Amino acid sequence: MYHNSSQKKYWTFENEAALEKLRQEANQKFRSKALSIRKPGINDSIFLDPREEKVLFKHYEKRLLDLCSIFKPAMPKSVVGTACMYFRRFYLNNSLMEYHPRTIMLTCAYLSCKVDEFNVSSTQFVGNLQENPAAQERALEQILEYELLLIQQLNFHLVVHNPYRPMEGFLIDLKTRYPLLENPEVLRKNAEDFLNRAAMTDAGLLFSPSQIALTAVLNSAARTGLNMETYLTECMGLKDNKETLSKMYDAMRRITILIKEYELPRTDEVNIYKQKLERIHAECAPNTNLKRKHGYEDDDHVVKKPLITEEEWTDEDLDAL
Amino acid sequence: MDDQGCPRCKTTKYRNPSLKLMVNVCGHTLCENCVEMLFVRGSGNCVQCDTPLRKSNFRLQLFEDPAIDKEVEIRKKVLKIYNKRDFDFPSLREYNDYLEQVEEIVYNLTNNVDVESTKQMMEHYQRENRDIIQRNKAKLTREQEELEELLLLEQQDSQQRRLETLQEEKRQLQAKRKSKQALLDELENSQLPASILLAQHKDRAAQLETQIEKQKQSVKPATIFSTGILKGQTVSLAPVAHIEEVLYKYQPLHIETFGPPVPGLEQLDRIGCRGDFSAVSRETLTPIIQEVITWYLNHVRTATPQDLAGGYTSGLACHRALQDAFSGLFPSLI
Repeated sequence: MYHNSSQKKYWTFENEAALEKLRQEANQKFRSKALSIRKPGINDSIFLDPREEKVLFKHYEKRLLDLCSIFKPAMPKSVVGTACMYFRRFYLNNSLMEYHPRTIMLTCAYLSCKVDEFNVSSTQFVGNLQENPAAQERALEQILEYELLLIQQLNFHLVVHNPYRPMEGFLIDLKTRYPLLENPEVLRKNAEDFLNRAAMTDAGLLFSPSQIALTAVLNSAARTGLNMETYLTECMGLKDNKETLSKMYDAMRRITILIKEYELPRTDEVNIYKQKLERIHAECAPNTNLKRKHGYEDDDHVVKKPLITEEEWTDEDLDAL
Repeated sequence: MDDQGCPRCKTTKYRNPSLKLMVNVCGHTLCENCVEMLFVRGSGNCVQCDTPLRKSNFRLQLFEDPAIDKEVEIRKKVLKIYNKRDFDFPSLREYNDYLEQVEEIVYNLTNNVDVESTKQMMEHYQRENRDIIQRNKAKLTREQEELEELLLLEQQDSQQRRLETLQEEKRQLQAKRKSKQALLDELENSQLPASILLAQHKDRAAQLETQIEKQKQSVKPATIFSTGILKGQTVSLAPVAHIEEVLYKYQPLHIETFGPPVPGLEQLDRIGCRGDFSAVSRETLTPIIQEVITWYLNHVRTATPQDLAGGYTSGLACHRALQDAFSGLFPSLI
């Protein structure tokens, strides 16, 4: 249940400013860390600023959703939602410049398959990347390498409460207790759309899944021209509780605004920042490679390979998706 | 797993289950065959540490770790000298110090720490306390004898009891056989009809049976402890102090869900579009009403027999969806 979950306790934030602050801090932390290496070629100008990071984040998040949508066997929605949430939580406290989003996004998807009991083997998983077997092998290696890091960065809070089941709950409740509505099933399509778009915003870090689901249902009703205020007042028992009711409306308005404000990143922007990102990763590479070497010290054939493959396996491979 | 073996001929317990490992004062192992071979002349040096050993000092290794065997041996020897007991000391503290000293000596000898000085200390102690040692030894042997006597007595006792029961059983068997024989004889000789005779016999047999039962019950319970505890000693049977405890009071669990109340699992087929019927008994709901109202459960997939076999009911899924929908719905009122 959400009400006593780690999601409520640790991963639901007061407002957007709190999220911005965390992301700023992550960005700043990486900058000072990279500068402390004192390597020629690393200076303030090459870093991404938080806004640029955000654009790239959106881009990779979209890619994550695209990957999930074409995944075979078809991924349940909750798995996609969980993967998305992992990705979002990970980059709340980490900078894109420190860990490459390309790897992290695959790791998120892989981990969420495991956690949400959607059973795919690792080879089957990378089989969905439309690439040659060798590249798949390398991707798998990276996924497994970053999996533990991801889990650690998520603070081992792996259960994510998605708004999909609450939405089903509301539909059942509407059918049972709200006979004013002839056929609640008509709301489903729009509501699901709404939830899918909500997954691409910070809504999951700011509101409870049930609030998002209710917003989705009410939003869908409003679109079809239905007024469901009586559902809130009668069935939810909010008739005499004006304060809660107004707060609910406020929250729903904020969720709707969040979703309306979302826009896909512009391709030209993305391309510029991507180049920047690659450069940063190349400059700071020895640092990360050092880490990897520790783990694989014993079998040198593994150590040598990733050094090269890091460069080889670029976004262009994934663009085939 | 089990690589216990002879360090000389490399035979292991696994390859030769009947392998007998021996250990000498130095704490190093040898198998029986090697002992026979190396110590034909009765003495020799340890293969591993070159300590001069005597064949007669070889003991069967009882523990997996030969060092423990060595320690046991040493402890036996040390305790022969250090045989003071708690009432030889004026205070518990001194007795404890003494015990600690004994442990120290055993440890030193086992692990070859300051062997020489420790041995000297032991000799010194032996010289100083010769009287006490002798006295305690005598006392110990006496006590030992007493204990053995007691054990012997007990053994005899139990032997006798077993014999008695055996005899008793034999007697019973004979009685039974006799009564059977009597029946046959009677059937042969008597003029009475067989049914009466049989009835009579049954009565007698029943009597015999009850007699035997009674005898069995009257067998005296054993009067002596079979554990060898001295008869004079009594176990303290003082009642355990009664502790007054506050009884646990059940407090119903309250969970803040931050949302509207969720209908209970058992209410899902009692709440419908016309309201909550959970207060009404099921019988009063006529089939017509049952049909008119659509319940919560009408809106979820009904469970297949396969699902039901696994313990799944449609109510579970329905309840979970509702719980998830209502949990944390209201924004916190801060």
